[in-house]
Amino acid sequence: MSGTARARRPLKQGYFTVPENPAEPPKLMGTVCKDCGEYFFPKRVVCAKCLSENTADAMLGPQGTLYSYTFVHFPLFGSTKVEHSTGYGVGQVDLPEGPRVQVPLAGKQEDFKVGMPLVAELDPIREDGDKDVVILRFAPVAGGAK
Amino acid sequence: MSILKNGREVAILGVGMHRFGLWPDSTNADMSRVAGLAALKDAGLSFKDVDAAYVGQIFAPVMAGVRVMKEFGLTGLPVQRLDNASATGSACLYEAVGSVASGRYDVAMVLGFDKMTGIVADSSANTDPANLEDAILPAAFFAMWATRRMHERGTKPEHLAKIAAKNWHNGGLNPMAQRQPDKPVPIEKVLSSRMVAWPMTTMMSCPIGDGAACAIVGPVELAKKLNPGRPIVKVVASALQSERYDRGHLFMGPVVGPGRMTVDTSAVCYEQAGLGPKDIDLVQVHDAFAIEELEYYELLGICGKGEAEACIDRGDFELGGRVPFSTDGGLIARGHPGGPTGLAQIWETTLQLRGEAGKRQVANARNGICHMMGGGSVCVMHILQKG
Repeated sequence: MSGTARARRPLKQGYFTVPENPAEPPKLMGTVCKDCGEYFFPKRVVCAKCLSENTADAMLGPQGTLYSYTFVHFPLFGSTKVEHSTGYGVGQVDLPEGPRVQVPLAGKQEDFKVGMPLVAELDPIREDGDKDVVILRFAPVAGGAK
Repeated sequence: MSILKNGREVAILGVGMHRFGLWPDSTNADMSRVAGLAALKDAGLSFKDVDAAYVGQIFAPVMAGVRVMKEFGLTGLPVQRLDNASATGSACLYEAVGSVASGRYDVAMVLGFDKMTGIVADSSANTDPANLEDAILPAAFFAMWATRRMHERGTKPEHLAKIAAKNWHNGGLNPMAQRQPDKPVPIEKVLSSRMVAWPMTTMMSCPIGDGAACAIVGPVELAKKLNPGRPIVKVVASALQSERYDRGHLFMGPVVGPGRMTVDTSAVCYEQAGLGPKDIDLVQVHDAFAIEELEYYELLGICGKGEAEACIDRGDFELGGRVPFSTDGGLIARGHPGGPTGLAQIWETTLQLRGEAGKRQVANARNGICHMMGGGSVCVMHILQKG
């Protein structure tokens, strides 16, 4: 991180937070059912488990556990970043609250291992004027990979 | 049990196909006319005899269903268009079978078609620069099935390559297949083909393509009259299910599954048919990627949990093996244009049960499963039985 952080905006609104402080990890914007307690990502109105409409917004993560992964050998769509031109990691990540999400992963094929701890981060994929357009991805927790 | 309580027994009266492949000079109407007229001829029927049509397409524009049907004539029949992703053709058959079983119609035509070549020419057609889900390709989704399986069961990329090589081989025996290799495909070639999403290579994945397929369904009594010397192919099970919620459900991305859908749908089908996995002689599945076929061996109950790898090594699912899978090449070699794919499975299974499958013929084939997954997702399954 350089001293003067550029302003950031999410690729799509309503899915993850973009904290003012670049050192602070993002959270996923989901839903909790106030009747049965089940959590969901992305947001929804009706509980998929008990069908209750008594639901509320809930912040999820930023921790996660890698359930499965792959490395895609195609450029990441919509990205102008050199790192993404030859491919990118993708994972199914279990959030501590329950939901499983599919998201890009930071790193190479050999960096990933089923069951490893991860943390969410924002990845700038291109520029839009004076702002960086960011997506949410998960990265191995520093020192957490075996 | 039967498909409908107090319903009529339903048969596949005829089948027809336009070979799957890359056909930039053929329109959806051209391919559909070939497949549809072939199916009518196979049934021994004229389009005048058709009471209703169920038309499946994924990529064709609005109105294409009813417009393509004009190729056969304008008789005023009801025409309905359906889309259920990869399971579109199978979903059309499900509706047609229900309508004949209920007595609403006697003869229903089920037509599936699609052209993917145009979509590839304009590769941005289906992606949105602002769509979060575009990072998750179908290949990546299924690759993660493979990674998880490798973690849990010690599966090797070689197992996936063996499935793909088998399906390429079967495609070589099918004149309607998109991929028809003229010599055996070695496992090493599958493994060394271009990596799409680790551990899945291009040769373990289905191609894009164009094509059409058609099935004519009607009551069993009519099948007996139309072709007295020919074995009757009965539809003894027909089921379609969407997902049930379980913890860990994936709500975003090109999701197919979870595996429980195949377990649940096949349980309904086995009960309708009064059959179990041990009675099944051949199976067509949604093998868009080789890992899927591996999982379906177990999810359909054809082998026990955790046994798939040993069965693959033994050759259980090859032609001449215990229960051949993807006898026509499957999605990997026969092809997967979209709308017609599920009906190509019906074409193959019908020929197999009649003993007309040539070099692909499964000896003494009596019961065949046709299983499709449609992204989103749905599972559609039929069991055909030689009557």
